[in-house]
Amino acid sequence: MDGVDGLIALADVERRLRAYGTALWGVDPPLRPLVGEGDPAALRPCFDADLVRLPAVWPSLALYRAALAHVGAHRMFSRPLPAKGLKPLLTIVVSLVEDARVEHLAMRRLPGLRRLWAPFHRVEPSPSLMAADLLERLARALFDAGYRDGNAWVDKGQRLFFERPERWENPNFSLALGGDLAGDLGKTRVQINARGHRVDPAYRDDNGGLWLYDTPPEPPRDADDPLEAVRPEPMEGEGNRRNGPPQALPAPAPLAAAAETTALRPVARYPEWDHRIGLHRPGFVQVVECEPEHQPPMDVPADHRLAGRVRALIRHAVVARPERLRRQREGDALDLDACIAATAARRHGHAPDMRVYRRVRRRGRDLSVLLLLDASHSTKDPVGDGTVLDLERRSADLLAGALAAAGDRFALAAFRSDGREAVHWLPVKRFAEHYDAAARGRLAGLDGRWSTRMGAAIRHAGTTLAAQPTLRRLLLLVTDGEPSDIDCPDPRHLVEDARKAVRELAGRGIDVVCVALGGDARTHHRIFGRRNVLPVDRVERLPEILPTVYVRLTG
Amino acid sequence: MALHTYRIAREPYYCPAGDEIALFEAAHADRLPVMLKGPTGCGKTRFVEHMAWRLGRPLVTVACNEDLTASDLVGRYLLEAEGTVWQDGPLTLAVRHGAICYLDEIVEARADTTVVIHPLADDRRALPLDKRNELVTAHPDFQLVIAYNPGYQSVAKDLKESTKQRFAALEFGYPAAAVEAEIVAHEAGIEPEVARRVVAVAERSRNLRGRGLEEGASTRMLIHAGRLIARGVAPEAACRMAIVLPLTDDSDLRDALAAAVGACF
Ligand SMILES: Nc1ncnc2c1ncn2[C@@H]1O[C@H](COP(=O)(O)OP(=O)(O)O)[C@@H](O)[C@H]1O
Ligand SMILES: [Mg+2]
Repeated sequence: MDGVDGLIALADVERRLRAYGTALWGVDPPLRPLVGEGDPAALRPCFDADLVRLPAVWPSLALYRAALAHVGAHRMFSRPLPAKGLKPLLTIVVSLVEDARVEHLAMRRLPGLRRLWAPFHRVEPSPSLMAADLLERLARALFDAGYRDGNAWVDKGQRLFFERPERWENPNFSLALGGDLAGDLGKTRVQINARGHRVDPAYRDDNGGLWLYDTPPEPPRDADDPLEAVRPEPMEGEGNRRNGPPQALPAPAPLAAAAETTALRPVARYPEWDHRIGLHRPGFVQVVECEPEHQPPMDVPADHRLAGRVRALIRHAVVARPERLRRQREGDALDLDACIAATAARRHGHAPDMRVYRRVRRRGRDLSVLLLLDASHSTKDPVGDGTVLDLERRSADLLAGALAAAGDRFALAAFRSDGREAVHWLPVKRFAEHYDAAARGRLAGLDGRWSTRMGAAIRHAGTTLAAQPTLRRLLLLVTDGEPSDIDCPDPRHLVEDARKAVRELAGRGIDVVCVALGGDARTHHRIFGRRNVLPVDRVERLPEILPTVYVRLTG
Repeated sequence: MALHTYRIAREPYYCPAGDEIALFEAAHADRLPVMLKGPTGCGKTRFVEHMAWRLGRPLVTVACNEDLTASDLVGRYLLEAEGTVWQDGPLTLAVRHGAICYLDEIVEARADTTVVIHPLADDRRALPLDKRNELVTAHPDFQLVIAYNPGYQSVAKDLKESTKQRFAALEFGYPAAAVEAEIVAHEAGIEPEVARRVVAVAERSRNLRGRGLEEGASTRMLIHAGRLIARGVAPEAACRMAIVLPLTDDSDLRDALAAAVGACF
């Protein structure tokens, strides 16, 4: 993991870090890489209400952890203050006191954090009166009550800080003490370059998250960060983009284009639930089947180890479950109950039932699963070096290959919609078909277009599953968004309809589970019920997660 | 008295989280069947033991598993020198003589086993013994209690709606931090301050629930960690052994959780 020059990359440890931050603080803010010129070790983290930015490469995992723990402490205990009218020196010293305050509050709850942060406070007492040195020493003095500096200003800060620890609870404490200390410093001849000031030790953030500025204090340091474009607050039209094409765009040209290679065949009409009147609108939606364009099948999964693991996992779940059969004509062990019954019958003078053996058999699974992929426009969003749909395809291919090898009954299809008259159903593999080169070609040919009229797709999946003769029937729906369609301005309508559709299936004994690659968790909970939603924290991991989910659901 | 050995002599230690004792007493007064919902290791079994003791009822406990048959519950004929004799199963015993019958981890039992409790859990309050051609009417003191962990996301492991609908339910979760620390200190025999730290570890793991972990550390796991600490194991090592490693095989999560454990001591 150690890269060049003893640096490690955020991307390599991001998942671990996020889990660490979540474990500590119970919240999981998105992490973004911070790119800068010059020495990465000189970069400082920054955060705001929505994001935490950490250097894209940095010297060590311990430093990343220390930084995340520190930012977490701010997010937990700091309230941003208006910076308006405050001198830069004042904000620097107040921030420094605030850093110490929140760390001590955090250490009250989690005392082991001291061992995490302490190694970074390495500055030693010195006669230097440079502002940067004094500030770093004050940082150490406020962190470590046992540190002795000798400089009158540092010592005063330390004494006042530790004098009455109960005041740490009060967020104004930093403003008061910091103001006092900044005043002292201002009276000396100590020079400070507030603009060029760099916070030390390295794990502490740049203080930007502590202050409310009218205008950004300086241009974002990672202006060239491509992820900068991904803002947490939806931009104009973005809400639509996630779930379908923006309505303002010219109508999607393309029925014709799509029809070039694929025949559209109406296969069913379904009602749609109108929650405002509490009634179904009969025959409101038409499902058309369209054969996905054939493409050369994806390469055998590049990751052989993963493919092997998935196959083993599925095999184990499907095949290795023994079932004890009792009252057998032959077998490896006696069935005690049957023996007793037979003996009893004989003593009573009846003809005994001689099926007195027990046998262990590999359980044939009484289960049919339909894996349904969302193939709407939003699945074209990039992740890693492909798109969401690429990942859906890869994951489905891995899982399907393993299921076919193990012999579970399954079908694979995708859906999207272009208004209520054209909910597309794209069969990849039907229950009766083999998962062969043709099916893999159809899977490879799926492309992302249009919208997500989920209710109709769920109902059609229900029709398919209801025809299966097994006891248990499961619809596993993989989606990256929420229901939407071009002819449906009220977002609640399709959500309520999808919810209704899920219930209709439940009523027919079909379970519906959603693997959510994004979108609003509350909407998914509303549609599928909380316990039937499995959020995937990083879409890149879908190929690993989907088989695990499958095993857990059906095991 | 047939159920003599099923009586609980000493008060089982139980720390209430809310009004569950009063609610259970009310349900018991009417002999309503009760379902205890909650994750594993959060005190459901202990609660039933405590209530049985409190109400002065014998307690018959059956830990369900997928090999458990209806005969295992209701009883079977055994061979004796003179012929066959019927032996009541644990459920029949409780029904006949008036005990609380506690079916732990009911979802583990096969569906055909679960249905034998249906007539006991509605107005009939009777148990048909088909093999014996007998209908056992429940003793007035009989009460049925089942434990059910709704956290399993397996469609194969869910209670049938028809079963669920017969029960009143009490919901169990992990106790509040202070209460849980008291429990851990009591059960493991460690200092309250150390117990609080162990509970802080549990909170860390529960923060990861649904974000990588299927379930956080249970109270039971904390007690295990506490016992190791009582034996002189360093707290971090104890938590690693009793909590982190059993909880997950995912190396990223294990690493993150181990680091978070480090923050607790
Ligand atoms: N509220 C509680 N009061 C006392 N002990 C508890 C409580 N909750 C949990 N415990 C302890 O945790 C252990 C596991 O609880 P248990 O009742 O076996 O869990 P469950 O039946 O829910 O799986 C018990 O043995 C007991 O030591
Ligand atoms: Mg800070």
